[in-house]
Amino acid sequence: MASVAAWLPFARAAAIGWVPIATHPLPPPPVPKDRRRAEDEKLLINVSGRRFETWRNTLEKYPDSLLGSTEREFFYDEDSREYFFDRDPDIFRHILNYYRTGKLHYPKHECLTGYDEELAFFGILPDVIGDCCYEDYRDRKRENAERLMDDKLSEAGDQSLPQLTDLRQKMWRAFENPHTSTAALVFYYVTGFFIAVSVMANVVETVPCGHRPGRAGTLPCGERYKIVFFCLDTACVMIFTAEYLLRLFAAPDRCKFVRSVMSIIDVVAILPYYIGLGITDNDDVSGAFVTLRVFRVFRIFKFSRHSQGLRILGYTLKSCASELGFLVFSLAMAIIIFATVMFYAEKNEQDTNFTSIPAAFWYTIVTMTTLGYGDMVPGTIAGKIVGGVCSLSGVLVIALPVPVIVSNFSRIYHQNQRADKRKAQRKARLARIRIAKASSGAAFVSKKKAAEARLAAQESGVELDDAGRDEDIFELQHHHLLRCLERTTMIDDVRKFECYAEVVYGK
Amino acid sequence: MSLEEECDDAGSNSWCPGARYRPEPPAALARASHFTQHEIKLMYRGFKQECPTGVVDEEAFKHIFSQFFPLGDASQYAHFVFNTVKHKQRGKLNFEEFLGTLSLAGRGSRAEKLSWVFALYDADGDGRISRAEMLAVVRAVHGLLGPAARPPLPRHAAEDLVDRIFHLMDTNADGVVTPDELARWIARDPALLSSLDTLDTVL
Repeated sequence: MASVAAWLPFARAAAIGWVPIATHPLPPPPVPKDRRRAEDEKLLINVSGRRFETWRNTLEKYPDSLLGSTEREFFYDEDSREYFFDRDPDIFRHILNYYRTGKLHYPKHECLTGYDEELAFFGILPDVIGDCCYEDYRDRKRENAERLMDDKLSEAGDQSLPQLTDLRQKMWRAFENPHTSTAALVFYYVTGFFIAVSVMANVVETVPCGHRPGRAGTLPCGERYKIVFFCLDTACVMIFTAEYLLRLFAAPDRCKFVRSVMSIIDVVAILPYYIGLGITDNDDVSGAFVTLRVFRVFRIFKFSRHSQGLRILGYTLKSCASELGFLVFSLAMAIIIFATVMFYAEKNEQDTNFTSIPAAFWYTIVTMTTLGYGDMVPGTIAGKIVGGVCSLSGVLVIALPVPVIVSNFSRIYHQNQRADKRKAQRKARLARIRIAKASSGAAFVSKKKAAEARLAAQESGVELDDAGRDEDIFELQHHHLLRCLERTTMIDDVRKFECYAEVVYGK
Repeated sequence: MSLEEECDDAGSNSWCPGARYRPEPPAALARASHFTQHEIKLMYRGFKQECPTGVVDEEAFKHIFSQFFPLGDASQYAHFVFNTVKHKQRGKLNFEEFLGTLSLAGRGSRAEKLSWVFALYDADGDGRISRAEMLAVVRAVHGLLGPAARPPLPRHAAEDLVDRIFHLMDTNADGVVTPDELARWIARDPALLSSLDTLDTVL
């Protein structure tokens, strides 16, 4: 409100327009004519040596912040007649500009957390950041939050290293993190091997292996070596079943586990075998049986437990679901349109392949994806024109959502890379931090010992040298406090303090 | 007078090269108005802080006005007030015009104030206030109050008020109010007349 104070006289003067229509006379003026407004004064603000000066009224524009309220009096230094803040002067510049112009800007080169801390110190909400800078601020805040969340999660994951006595918990941890023990690693590699074997067997059993006895045509390997493949399949399914049951046993939340994607893939991988065992070799159901065999190929998805890249791909597709949906929808629209036009263009052609609109769908799909098999080709000129337009538009429609999906994948992939790198560097970093802390702790301990020695000497009346006088009274009293703690809990004087130091400073 | 060129873009806060507005020095302004130099300095500082380019357009003016009447809609009344100023540049208000109007309406003589009030009501400037013009201004003033008035204004409060007082103001019943009729109307009640003086601001 104070920012428009200059206009108050104008607003008041403009109010004489109400006089003709006033139903009652107006109240007398509140301020007598001889009174003068309190003269505005300039305040000096010293932020880490850099001096800022501003009118008092400017600061009081925002009375719920530190500078606008009486809270600033806590920082008033009587000797130099200025307000002293031991904070960052570069960021303070922006805060003061907020008071002056009403707009808070976020400088891009400043660290977000530092900036947030300064805002919190001066009592300003980040929501008042101007529109020009707000988006940038929000984006960086979100990035930071994600990174911190990642760190916390990975930290929580690492924290669970202490010994777990429950067998279930141990097994679950072994399943989820194969690197925790050698047994888990062996299990990991064995299952991986059997997945590969199973998939290879599926592939190889369809390869032609010689001639059918008594009939024309080749014999696939699967029928020639029926027993071998059957044994192989049985072995794989045994392993997979065992793995699934063990996981089910070890899962902390069984319902959630049963509903999870990986367990569904597991079930789909092993079920066809059991169903196949149940059905006899009957012509009626052998068609269904063959269909079931197709599901065996889903075993390949079990590899996603082993490969992080595959998991990222799956996650990307899930997060790009809307773009993919858009792609499918627009393609469907285009296909229907072009197929219809094509059909009516080619309908009257001699011996045409375009017998119906659904038949033309195939042509349209093949053309739009620029495959062009050549099994269906337009004959009329109109048909050829439509075909040309169809293939050009196909390129566009498919090319549009692809960059979005690619950029999503790239972002998620890099995030994962960074997370892994951070985890790897984390241990080294923590070790270095611990060493730094220990050295500062050691310095404190030695200082305390020196102080005690001086105190003991003083008590026994020995002469002191004046070097001891410079000790800060805060430090002296801190040492005294620790001594009091020792005395309170003491069994043995010296030893107790060293144990305490170890606990506090993690030596 | 300082040079002013037409600015293409709207908005008083945009910088138009060549259209730099500079007012007369404070001493000259103080001589031309009813304010002291000190008061003019204070007001100019606030004016320039609010509009760095030195000119206000109607949108900014409405925005500033609405800050004093937070609960209501001040845009209509602001529009009428803006129209009373004789603009040198179409649709924009500079500091001298601001000061002039303020001097007239806030510290002028009775006659000057009455002429300003008349100009406020007479939107088309034909020297007469018609019933429709009065109704528009009354609606604008009621709009300042806003929907939060307690007790709330009845639906046709503006029309009722105009019905009641227009024929009282229009003594010769010619359907319009002339400046003399307005002056006589206000002078009929001495309390009303003194109300004209209560709205000066102490700086």
